[in-house]
Amino acid sequence: MIELLLAVLFLSPILGSLPVAFAWLLEPKRDWSRRLPILAVLGLFVSFLCTLYILFNFGELNLEEVHKFSFDWLPGFNISFTFIFDYLSRIMGVLTALIAFLIGVYGLEYMKHDYRLGWYWFFFNLFTASMLLVVYSDNLLMLLIGWEGLGLASWALIGHWFRDDDELSFVGIVGRKIAGLNYFWSPSLGAWRAISTIRVGDMPMFFAIAAIFFLVRNLNISEIPWSELAEKIGAAGIFLILLAFLLGPFTKSAQLPFSEWLMTAMTGPTTVSALLHSATMVAAGTYIFMRLTWYMKPWTIHSAGIEVLYVLVLFLGLISALYGASVALGCRERKVLLAASTMSSLGLMFATASAGFWVGQIAILVAFWYLVTHAFAKATLFLVAGHLIHETHDRFCVGGRELAKHLKLAFAATIIATLCLSGIPPLTAYWVKSAMDGIMHSLEHEFGFIPLSLLVLTSAVYSAFLAKFLSLNFLKGEYHVKSHGGGRLMGIAYTAMGSMLLLLLFVYLYFPEFLEFVAEGFLPSSLVVGLVVLLTYLLTLSKPTLESPIGKALGDRLYLAFLNDYVVSKIGWSLARLVDYANKAIDIFCHKAVPKAFEMSSKGIRRVQSGSIELYLRISVAVLLVLLTVAIALGVIM
Amino acid sequence: MIYLLLSLLILTFAGILSYKDYRISLILSFLLLFVSLELGGISMFICFLALLNILSLVAIRRNQISGVDYAMVGLMTIATIYSFITSDIAELLALFVVVSVPTYLIIMVDEGKLNVDTGIKYIAFMVIATVLFIIGAVVLYLGYGYQNSALYLFGLVLLLMGLALEVGIAPLHEWVPDVFANANPISVSIIASIAKFVPFIVALKILMITATELTSSALLIFAVVSAISMFAGNIGALTTQNPARILGYSTVANMGYILAAFVAITASKDLVYYAIAGALLQLFVNAFGKVGFFNAIKGGTWTASSYILSFSFIGLPPLMGFWGKFFIIYALVFSNYLWLAILLVLNSAISVPYYLRLVRVTKVNVPNMLTNTVASITAIVMFITLFPPTWFVDLVAEVFK
Repeated sequence: MIELLLAVLFLSPILGSLPVAFAWLLEPKRDWSRRLPILAVLGLFVSFLCTLYILFNFGELNLEEVHKFSFDWLPGFNISFTFIFDYLSRIMGVLTALIAFLIGVYGLEYMKHDYRLGWYWFFFNLFTASMLLVVYSDNLLMLLIGWEGLGLASWALIGHWFRDDDELSFVGIVGRKIAGLNYFWSPSLGAWRAISTIRVGDMPMFFAIAAIFFLVRNLNISEIPWSELAEKIGAAGIFLILLAFLLGPFTKSAQLPFSEWLMTAMTGPTTVSALLHSATMVAAGTYIFMRLTWYMKPWTIHSAGIEVLYVLVLFLGLISALYGASVALGCRERKVLLAASTMSSLGLMFATASAGFWVGQIAILVAFWYLVTHAFAKATLFLVAGHLIHETHDRFCVGGRELAKHLKLAFAATIIATLCLSGIPPLTAYWVKSAMDGIMHSLEHEFGFIPLSLLVLTSAVYSAFLAKFLSLNFLKGEYHVKSHGGGRLMGIAYTAMGSMLLLLLFVYLYFPEFLEFVAEGFLPSSLVVGLVVLLTYLLTLSKPTLESPIGKALGDRLYLAFLNDYVVSKIGWSLARLVDYANKAIDIFCHKAVPKAFEMSSKGIRRVQSGSIELYLRISVAVLLVLLTVAIALGVIM
Repeated sequence: MIYLLLSLLILTFAGILSYKDYRISLILSFLLLFVSLELGGISMFICFLALLNILSLVAIRRNQISGVDYAMVGLMTIATIYSFITSDIAELLALFVVVSVPTYLIIMVDEGKLNVDTGIKYIAFMVIATVLFIIGAVVLYLGYGYQNSALYLFGLVLLLMGLALEVGIAPLHEWVPDVFANANPISVSIIASIAKFVPFIVALKILMITATELTSSALLIFAVVSAISMFAGNIGALTTQNPARILGYSTVANMGYILAAFVAITASKDLVYYAIAGALLQLFVNAFGKVGFFNAIKGGTWTASSYILSFSFIGLPPLMGFWGKFFIIYALVFSNYLWLAILLVLNSAISVPYYLRLVRVTKVNVPNMLTNTVASITAIVMFITLFPPTWFVDLVAEVFK
């Protein structure tokens, strides 16, 4: 029974995409092959139903209920296919499948006229299956399978328009250079940056998993004996292992200094940006971190190494959040703005979850529900951005009242999403953000007011750029609509997505599990923060642009692109040159030095053959005398 | 004993009557060999080798001592066979001389003029070798008898030097390339094949008879000389173009391999048998191989035969050349001479290019029937070890009890 469920869950997306994938391989031009994506979306829907089933049919939905299902894989190594249905994975699974399905529906219309549908749908569904694998996986090695699938699908989808023939798909102003470096990126380059950065993080992660296996012989997240491990290898050891492991999530979730790839990943189709780079794939990193912390229970372990690690994650998250929010504030491109904002939110998730070290499990819950809220909101915004790009044929923020009137659903969805996400009372994110404030506040004993102030600052900037997005696209501006028509399916998709936020609001206010969030929300300090956020929102709504050099630098992402495009590539090339030298050295050794040596010694041996018998006899006598002397000497000694 | 006297008589008659017609000597020598077959296991191989030698001599039947040369080969064969049987040091030394002297004559023999220059060079070295060997053996026996280390080592070194000069082990190998290149190929094939057995057998027997506790450590000298010889022979042949010279260096190298087997003589009985079996197999490979190749140089043979001979020299299983080296390596490894075993393998690898070059430079379009036959027979003989030669080790065990 469970095997069937799992099989359908993971295989239905993939199987659903196979018809269009194969049809595209064989005959891409025919009309009927353009109707096949509906099967792919059907596969996503079936997956969604499975996740709903898992949510409601495996006992109560509380923090303690855990169901694990194991299938033999490498029994001799104690590595098995272990699926886990606990609080985090059940909700995350539904989130992933629902968002994937809604974006799939959107994609039916958005990608209708694309030239590579087979590729797109195959990797879109492969991505969903991989993400579900990551969500429900307890065994680290099995999780890696999903992890790799995510990376592969990400590369494939970002570089979907690999021919680099449409400037609409680029990031940055085409032709612009800063200090000799191209400050614009094509889809193929975006795909490369994505996969290379993720790889850099994956390698330490593999080694960390291998190290964990070597030390404790158990790769199930829920079973790894962390306190034993910490004692075994000491503070430095546990810090290194965890840091190496977390480099995978850091690169996947685009924390500093690995954030560049996310910005240029916007060269992919908007559906890809919505699914991968707002809601699910980049959240996989934070999700893993949350699951790890959930089962590690670091608040019970006393290890200096783990403490240092969590401090690191806390501040890395907060600083990345502030950086992301600021960059988003300076951005003029729709999708890059949203990408930077995603990075910011991910930073907040990491920071909040890491606060669990001092605060306990509640911090993980806050981070998790922020993840859920953010997922829906950001996906909505991305889908709206896609529709806007489709309509205005421009990836920069252009729009106006006329556009708002033309795309009423988009306008409404944007309002809902931005209001609900920014943390304006009494809407959805307000309660979660208040809980976050409370958690950062309780870190007062350790770090003073630094975490809280960073959080509040970030929240203010966050709501500012959300307002900027709304204002520049729908309020201020002089865009004249050239009617396109269509977009009904897209509208339905993002409206449904946006309305999930209202559902969430209802969930937060109705269910008793969220009482603590709501209680935090009623604190006067939270209200003050909420008001600050509201103020910044309204301010930016009225004045969305401000020309300044700081703004320009922020828009250029504080020139972080030089790290990816210049520094790292220089390192790579110097390594390549080094290997080339070594290669040449081996070549010379094997093909010149050794044969020459043999030739010289051979000629030397043959030179003795002069033909003169006197020489030969002299040599023989000499050898004889030498050996005799040696022999007699030895004989006398012995 | 009776067989020996009988054979000597027959040979003498053969030699005398050859004045009339060389064919009488030919037939009598053949018959003689079949008579000596009585004498058991390894002797059969020796006889077969001698048969091939006599056959190849027929190719240069218009030489200066036509007829007597067959008798010389017969004499050498009898001496070799007898050396397997006896354990008397005096007899062994006498046999050493009996095998050595006929070669002085044979090396000078040619179809045109007598090769006196080459002969002088060869004889000079051989005489010194004989002297050193005999004095060495006697001093060795003295040292063994009086338990005197200095005498023992002195005798050992002289024995080794005598052996080295006799068969051509570096660094006393200088005569080998010159003589091999300048004498008649068939003559060289005689001295390069059947004449190499007795020096090694005699040295081996003398060492085993006079072994003391000092012997194991003293054998290190043998190991070092063997290593030098292997390298000198193989590396020297790498740039040589003349086939006879290549074969000269090949002989130097092969003698090095065979000398390496000596270091195992103070080990356990099993290992000793393997070492001797390896040495003998390698001697046979060398002998048959040289007969084959020199016939190829003289009149040519099929390319296939040349290739088989080359592969056997290189040490490709399941040919005889592989097994000889294998047994020697086996004995070396278990006698704690791993380094020498590794060097042996390395040298086998180094020797590949020039053996293959040999095939190329001895290629002819139309091979002479006689030389072709002889060479092809030697090639076929290389396949005897298709049945793994544990039977050979048993033969050796029987002979060297």
